[in-house]
Amino acid sequence: MTSHSKVRIDLVALFAACALFLSTIEYMIPKPVPFMRLGLANIPLILALGIFSNREYFLLFLLKVLGQGLISGTIFSYIILFSLAGSLSSALLMLMIYRLFKDKVSRVGISLGGALGSTICQLLISRIILFKEATYVIAPLFLFSGLISSIILGLFANEFIHKSIWYARLKETTV
Amino acid sequence: MKKLTFIDIFIFILFLTISVLSFTLYTNVSGKPEVHITSGDKEWVYDLSVDTIASFEGPIGNTTIEISNNRVHIYSSDCKNQIGILSGWIDKPGEWLSCLPNNVFILIKGQQKIAQAEETDDISF
Repeated sequence: MTSHSKVRIDLVALFAACALFLSTIEYMIPKPVPFMRLGLANIPLILALGIFSNREYFLLFLLKVLGQGLISGTIFSYIILFSLAGSLSSALLMLMIYRLFKDKVSRVGISLGGALGSTICQLLISRIILFKEATYVIAPLFLFSGLISSIILGLFANEFIHKSIWYARLKETTV
Repeated sequence: MKKLTFIDIFIFILFLTISVLSFTLYTNVSGKPEVHITSGDKEWVYDLSVDTIASFEGPIGNTTIEISNNRVHIYSSDCKNQIGILSGWIDKPGEWLSCLPNNVFILIKGQQKIAQAEETDDISF
């Protein structure tokens, strides 16, 4: 294992750019309700596991949140709180699940765990500052949409890791 | 294609259970429907069977709702993306609309079965 004390900034930038691009795509897709999302921008975070060090991963997470805020125009509104808290809990959970189980878990499990963490965290914040008691009404919708979209993202990530030569090379140079 | 593992399935079942459990919270919506509007810390209650137009002030401007024919929708809102208006009409208990930028939340609740003088709500507004 090589030392990762130095942050591979170009690699982080590439993944962050990818997240920014996917945020844009996501923003263009019409949604029936605000914050119901596909979470496309999480794909780079799911793929980064196993390649990035903790520091690089955290940097990617910050860039992703900033990029998302920039594109949706919510960067200076309270809505960024949701994005920040949701992304942070999902990033931490995904990292934890990956470090704990390594090869015993596929990207589907990681993606599901991340979505679960993010949804619950956002529902809790919503309970406190936004919808108050009415949060229970939005909960089922968010949970189910998160469940379905995270399975799709996870399956995509599995497939990508399995097929991509670029990813395999990246992984070789890391470990 | 990588096979799904035991842990994948476990997380899936956990997620599914929480999602299904969240649905059980819906069971207490029945009875005469009322429209609850929350804006900031304040809450207003309207009768869904009485046609009304009402305006609510939020951090970025006004959000106007219209109640007509036992349905409610967001008539206009001073927000940028107008998602609330695009959501259309709602008419069943448990359904909701919101204008997030303006922090206005509209929910149809079924009134509690406990007998309540029906006029009270109207008079208090």
